Amino acid sequence: MIKRKTFSQIVIHGLIILYIIFLLFPLVWVIASSFKSTQEIYSGSPTILPQQVTFDHYRSVINGQQLFRSMWNSVVVGTVSTIFVVLLSVPAAYAMVRYKSIVNNGILGWILVSQIFPVILVMIPLYVLLKYIGLTDTLTGLTLVYIVWSLPFVLWMMHGYVKSIPIELEEAAVIDGANRTQVIFTVLMPLLLPAIGASALFSFISAWNEFFFALVLMKSPALATLQVELATYTGMEGQARTGPLAAASVIATIPSVLLFVFLRRWFTTGLVSGALKG
Amino acid sequence: MKIILIIVSVGLIGVACLYWFTQNTNESTSRPLRFVSLAWQEGTIAANKSIVNEWNTLHPDLPIEYIQGTWNSAHDYLITSFETGDVPDIFHYESSVIIDYAMRGYLTDLSPYISPEMKSDILDVAWKTVTRPNGEVSGIPFLIESLVVLYNKSMFEHERILPPTVERPWTWNDLQLAAGKLTKDFNDDGITDQYGAAFGLRSSANIIMNTSISFGGSFFTKENSHFEVKVGDAEKKLLQTIVDMLYKEKSAAPSGIGESGAGMIPGFFSGRYAMLVGIGSWGRQQIVENAPKDFRWGVMPPLKAKTQMYGASTQTLSVPKKSQRVKEAMKFIEFILNTKNMARLALNDWMIPARTSCLQMKEFRDTAGGWDITCSAVSSLGVGSWLGAPGYVEWKSRVANPVLQELFAKRISVDEAAQRIERESNIVLSRYKKRGEVW
Repeated sequence: MIKRKTFSQIVIHGLIILYIIFLLFPLVWVIASSFKSTQEIYSGSPTILPQQVTFDHYRSVINGQQLFRSMWNSVVVGTVSTIFVVLLSVPAAYAMVRYKSIVNNGILGWILVSQIFPVILVMIPLYVLLKYIGLTDTLTGLTLVYIVWSLPFVLWMMHGYVKSIPIELEEAAVIDGANRTQVIFTVLMPLLLPAIGASALFSFISAWNEFFFALVLMKSPALATLQVELATYTGMEGQARTGPLAAASVIATIPSVLLFVFLRRWFTTGLVSGALKG
Repeated sequence: MKIILIIVSVGLIGVACLYWFTQNTNESTSRPLRFVSLAWQEGTIAANKSIVNEWNTLHPDLPIEYIQGTWNSAHDYLITSFETGDVPDIFHYESSVIIDYAMRGYLTDLSPYISPEMKSDILDVAWKTVTRPNGEVSGIPFLIESLVVLYNKSMFEHERILPPTVERPWTWNDLQLAAGKLTKDFNDDGITDQYGAAFGLRSSANIIMNTSISFGGSFFTKENSHFEVKVGDAEKKLLQTIVDMLYKEKSAAPSGIGESGAGMIPGFFSGRYAMLVGIGSWGRQQIVENAPKDFRWGVMPPLKAKTQMYGASTQTLSVPKKSQRVKEAMKFIEFILNTKNMARLALNDWMIPARTSCLQMKEFRDTAGGWDITCSAVSSLGVGSWLGAPGYVEWKSRVANPVLQELFAKRISVDEAAQRIERESNIVLSRYKKRGEVW
């Protein structure tokens, strides 16, 4: 019996390791390619690790194009849209869960329906609308679009999280003498931290990786976002400047990874906070 | 109190809207001219930017803003621009796509603005790729895309095969014989170690269409101002030749079925393929910049079937109809495409310049990099009968490429492929016929 259990654990762990390798391989390949010379990238017998490490692609990316400016633009629109999405979705979700109304189901239904529309369908009317209010080719306009684009799904996520918190916890706090504000900030918020972390991460990464809105709405080169900038390394008929593209992609991944590392602490903090806390 | 707040808020919003509106109405005539370029190689981007800087120094009253576009997203970018009216003043694209834009009424007819010098200097074949039957010009062609055959000189010498010359070009039969000789199983394990030829067939419609002209094929016929697709013996002969090389003679690499021309280059470097057939002339750049130091290679003149005639397409600069500054845009186009600047762009992109005066420059007659042979192919370039067929771009991606992929993967025969192309093509084309778009 124990042997069978050990065997099944080995199989499960083996599968997990294979899955992790499968997930990590493209990342390792991109990182390795960013340190290979162009000749090595085009070599007919490729190796995973670079045979001779070169920083030429990083130098070319840093000196040549507007990577850091576009990265800054992405950080600005990503951060501001994330803050607004979280600020709007938390109270909205709380109100929808705790204050029952006949429109709640309709709102939730509309949130789901709004996710069905493809970007291309809304692009032209959205562009015309933004143009009339002078927000095309501005980071403000793009941020606004990202807020509107992420908000329904984040609200949906937050709605689920708030709903999973028993109302008895709030009632107990009220019996202990807490007012509504204290209930929200001392009882509810610690429990919602993982949800806020997940929503913030989702919102930021959506904005960070978004390409089409940024491509169409931003006309000035100085306002290009990172994804639009990265696309300029690709050419016609499947060609690309592979080395610089790999180097730029590695640099572009760093903020997302850092954000995840930072928010990970929130996830764990949130899980052990709240009702079960001594 | 509430009413006062509402009135103040509405008033503020109104003032803001008015401010934004007045800003917008003055915008299109006061801002610099926007030039969207699809250059993507480091050298070409630098050349474009340098030309724009030179223009801006010479014309401080008419500055150009350089916008870096990308090939993969250019279509979406431009379509939304045309539809919303917020257009670039000049944009770079290719002839097969802009003729579609012209039919949809998105582009300015540039014919009244072209100088006589430019008109006479650019090759006729290049003009044909952008000129409608009524004489309207949809864009100024500046780079000619042509297909070439690249070969490994060392392998040819080892097998004592004499490469073709401009005077004595190879036929397809010669290519098949040489490919057979160059295909090797060095250790007799039944696995081919070196293939004589390699075709990048992932999206093969382009190669097949342009090459079929030399076989006397055309795919498209025009009857009563409407286009129809017919796959006859001439078209089938080319398809059969490639299928035979892949499966009967086994002298063409099967890995090419799922690869682009660019994707075959590493195998060419490593000696896995002796010839790359039907790769764009830009492929030479990859070889010059990335090949191992001792790699020796050459360019072949166009292969001869019935003729040496191949289809050409061009890269172009166009002006959208909604641009309000056509004259100024055309002034800049005349500048960026003068002989000196067009030569800079062509050399950096490793493509054939569209001006006769450029072709006479020594750089384009140089044997290094295969410029002499590549540019000599200009006389063998023609325009396919599909030029101006409404829906051609969709036809390529929805019909031709998928059916040809099935054919080259040996899932269907040449006859089945021909039938399917005819049947499916006419479904796509009939949709465009209903729209009434005419070239």
